[in-house]
Amino acid sequence: MASIITATTSSGLTQQADNSGVLQLASGTGNLVTVPSVTGTAMVSGNMPAFSAYQTSGTSVSNGTFTKIALQAEEFDTANCFDSTTNYRFTPNVAGYYQINGCVNISTASQGLLASIYKNGSEYKRGVWFGNASSIGNQSIVSSIVYFNGSTDYVELYIYQNQGGTYNTNSGSNITYFNGCMIRGA
Amino acid sequence: MTLYDKIMTLYSSLTEQDFLTVITLQNDSDGKGDYIAKWEHPTLPRPTDEELA
Repeated sequence: MASIITATTSSGLTQQADNSGVLQLASGTGNLVTVPSVTGTAMVSGNMPAFSAYQTSGTSVSNGTFTKIALQAEEFDTANCFDSTTNYRFTPNVAGYYQINGCVNISTASQGLLASIYKNGSEYKRGVWFGNASSIGNQSIVSSIVYFNGSTDYVELYIYQNQGGTYNTNSGSNITYFNGCMIRGA
Repeated sequence: MTLYDKIMTLYSSLTEQDFLTVITLQNDSDGKGDYIAKWEHPTLPRPTDEELA
């Protein structure tokens, strides 16, 4: 069972209590939300950080060198956790599990490139290796679920390319970007 | 000449796979340039600063 708070169409707000430790919120037509009897924090959209950043000026990438992508612009940053001016990193202020995605692009690709998520300064997850030559640009994506402690943990987007020279990444909100959002509390 | 080029000049036997596994060259886009973040090659010693100068 559960303790239930109901917004009825006849009596207004009603309450029904038991000792299950489970809380349900309901409307006139049925249960809407069940908060289970567990430890932790129930998250709602207002306190689950989300961000989307992208590059407006290309990053120079040496051959054979993992290079951090400078992401100078934001589409949104709900909790002001993304640094788009100095370190280009996402440091969420709520502990939990986050879906993190990144995409990088270089035009001249005679060999290959890949995107990589770095966590706390070290490589964490490597993305798709893109190895076909294309005059319109080669693109790699990386995606992973990352745990953050809500204070010091951070992630950054890196690129690696082995095309034999130094190349600039291509900019644009639809081309070289980094985004993520919280999907579960700690 | 980039750091990668200097290392390849010293150790021409290195492969692209080495730079994706046992060796990591890195640039944190902080103006300090490329550097060796990891060198775990089983036989070749890490180059000295003098060799890379």
